[in-house]
Amino acid sequence: MIIDAHVHIGKSARLQIEAGADMLVRVADELGFDRIFCTDLTALFYDMFEGNRLLAEEMRRHPDRIIGYASIHSTRFHQAALDELDRCRNDYGMRGLKIYSTPEATIAEPAMIPILEKCVELDFVVLAHTTPQECEFLLGAVPECKFMMAHAGGQPFAKGDWNRAIMAAQRFENLYLETASSTIDTNFLESAVAALGPHKIVFGTDTPLLDPWTQLVKIRQTRLDQQSLDLILGGNIARLAGLSS
Amino acid sequence: MIIDCHAYIGKWPYWPVPDSTGDEVAALAAGAGIDRAVITSTRSLFVSWPDGNQEARQAAAARPERLIAFAVAGPGELSHSLDAHRLELDNTVRGVRLFPQFHTYHLLYEPFVDLLCEQAAALRIPVQLPLRVLMNWGMPMLDLGWMAAIVGRHPATPWILSGLNYFHELRVGLALMRRYPTVYLETSCIQGFDAIRKVVEEVGSDRLLFGTGLPLQNAAAGMAKVCHARISDAGREAVLGGNALRLLKLEDQ
Repeated sequence: MIIDAHVHIGKSARLQIEAGADMLVRVADELGFDRIFCTDLTALFYDMFEGNRLLAEEMRRHPDRIIGYASIHSTRFHQAALDELDRCRNDYGMRGLKIYSTPEATIAEPAMIPILEKCVELDFVVLAHTTPQECEFLLGAVPECKFMMAHAGGQPFAKGDWNRAIMAAQRFENLYLETASSTIDTNFLESAVAALGPHKIVFGTDTPLLDPWTQLVKIRQTRLDQQSLDLILGGNIARLAGLSS
Repeated sequence: MIIDCHAYIGKWPYWPVPDSTGDEVAALAAGAGIDRAVITSTRSLFVSWPDGNQEARQAAAARPERLIAFAVAGPGELSHSLDAHRLELDNTVRGVRLFPQFHTYHLLYEPFVDLLCEQAAALRIPVQLPLRVLMNWGMPMLDLGWMAAIVGRHPATPWILSGLNYFHELRVGLALMRRYPTVYLETSCIQGFDAIRKVVEEVGSDRLLFGTGLPLQNAAAGMAKVCHARISDAGREAVLGGNALRLLKLEDQ
């Protein structure tokens, strides 16, 4: 089973994206992906309530393929954000949280701590566009949270520093590295597995921002054994999100 | 014939990279289904570009069926005359790469750059400008505005724009391709969704060059985006090697 843990749905002016659920499912079919974890771009960058509701509708249209992340676009909505996470879990059936951090609006701040505590309560896995340093701050506060560092350091704000991401994941038992990235550096995956074990790496593509074939092949065409690949390509996210049953 | 237009030999100082010699890189390329790779030595970036050029030439001479050397040019010491480190271009040089981001000079205000571009235009030798060596945000980048300005200043020079990824980078590259028929685009850092098809739809397939960033980047991943791109078979063949054969004057080999 191949599960893509990092897919976006909807529209973003900044990312120059407009992607519907049908197109995303068709792409998943072409690549042989069984299920895709989606976050709605409106929820992630503009209005969590509207975007999460839109995603829930698409989840209902594709119940066997699309799994939803609840998204919140800011840490500064306090109780309203916590209530939204409850709604996403209990009414919409979402299985995790996606959140995006920037240097201008970092999520590595006290306001994020009750959000992570809520994720623990809801058994949400978190996919966060964060730097290794931000992860260390957040996991230092809520170490029991199941936390995936989106892009494993391979994003502009983290300066592409996947070596630093590996070091952070070595320090925190519940910090996982998600692989979607423009960075396709040789030996990244082998280094991460050698340092962390295959159970700490989660496959994602960042479709429809990145080319999913590149993202899949950079995992498959490596020196890893099949058992490790099976964990990375689907087993780990299934376990973290409680899909195995 | 599959030709990788953006490869390297030499050590990588930032983190361990298992393959670095000419033989290792040639084997890596062959393992990925790549027939020939255009290399420079990373020694040219970090130690001395004349020394690196010698290393690349030797590697290519030892593996002429697999490796093609591009020379690297940069400034000499400020106290030296301009001619002290001039790169002599002739028909044996297949191409030149410039790395102002590693050699600490301004692309638009170094006399050797203009001289080189004029010579390259006369000899029809491509000048390759890597915006970045590999798609990693931690690495030094060439200023995109400099890239556009130097291409506009020397429109008769055959240019290979490398290391562009997405958004404004790709849009600038495409704008330059539309404006100047001498501009080629290389694929090693283009990672966007469906990007190869979109580029071909915008500017055609005859000035797109396959590249991987080998051995610093995963060659199979670089290959996958071209092999799975929704373009014609003829277009794919041109991108993977046909265009490079023509540009590098390798058709008779």
